[in-house]
Amino acid sequence: MTTVENKGQRPLAMALALAVMSISLTACAERAEVTLHEPGVYKGSVDPLLAQQQNPEQIQTLQDRFAKGQSDR
Amino acid sequence: MARMKFLCDAERCIECNGCVTACKNEHEVPWGVNRRRVVTLDDGVPGEKSVSVACMHCTDAPCAAVCPVDCFYTTDDGIVLHDKDLCIGCGYCFYACPFGAPQFPQQEAFGVRGKMDKCTFCAGGPEDNSSAAELEKYGRNRVAEGKLPLCAEMCSTKALLAGDGDMVADIYRERITKRGGRPETWGWETAYKGDA
Repeated sequence: MTTVENKGQRPLAMALALAVMSISLTACAERAEVTLHEPGVYKGSVDPLLAQQQNPEQIQTLQDRFAKGQSDR
Repeated sequence: MARMKFLCDAERCIECNGCVTACKNEHEVPWGVNRRRVVTLDDGVPGEKSVSVACMHCTDAPCAAVCPVDCFYTTDDGIVLHDKDLCIGCGYCFYACPFGAPQFPQQEAFGVRGKMDKCTFCAGGPEDNSSAAELEKYGRNRVAEGKLPLCAEMCSTKALLAGDGDMVADIYRERITKRGGRPETWGWETAYKGDA
């Protein structure tokens, strides 16, 4: 009696195992997009100082500061 | 656009370590890390010379060339900076640098390196200018405030110069003309090559 019941449950268990396997194996699937490494290209965040350095006033300020503080008397 | 450079006039350096102290104090550099240090050549021998050494902000920076995560960038005026959020502390830059500039704080046991730390030419890093995050990670951003590196501004004998490379070269040339002798621009050939 019990063997007949087990035989009836076997396809269900197999289907369940297949479903679990297919779900768990999807994590192992190959990604379509490729991460390309560009050597020597900065990959960090942008420094706001770069924009400030484009200002001619900033350059002049630094040059004046140098002339005032570091040149020989 | 000006090209920022450091120059240490070895004839004038008196090994007072004022530049080292100024740097550590200004940027609140942690124990064990020295962004700038004074190296004495032929110590104790008559004619000894001292040179103040830090990151020279090389034209073709070897640290940037070897960095596996590309965390280095060079500003338009030639200052070499890096992003500590990207740095993995591999230490390649330390081996590549001819000046021994990159420093690694001892944060954990078993020789694990923290994020690399080096001289920023007092220009901070890739955070909002003069923000708390920038101060904590990179130190004070004096360049954004229209100021120049404190180490050079504090130098009592004006041995250490920091600013527009052309202006620095003009001052040094004038000194050599006055006092005679051969120019000894320590590190310039290595750091700036054809740009020196």
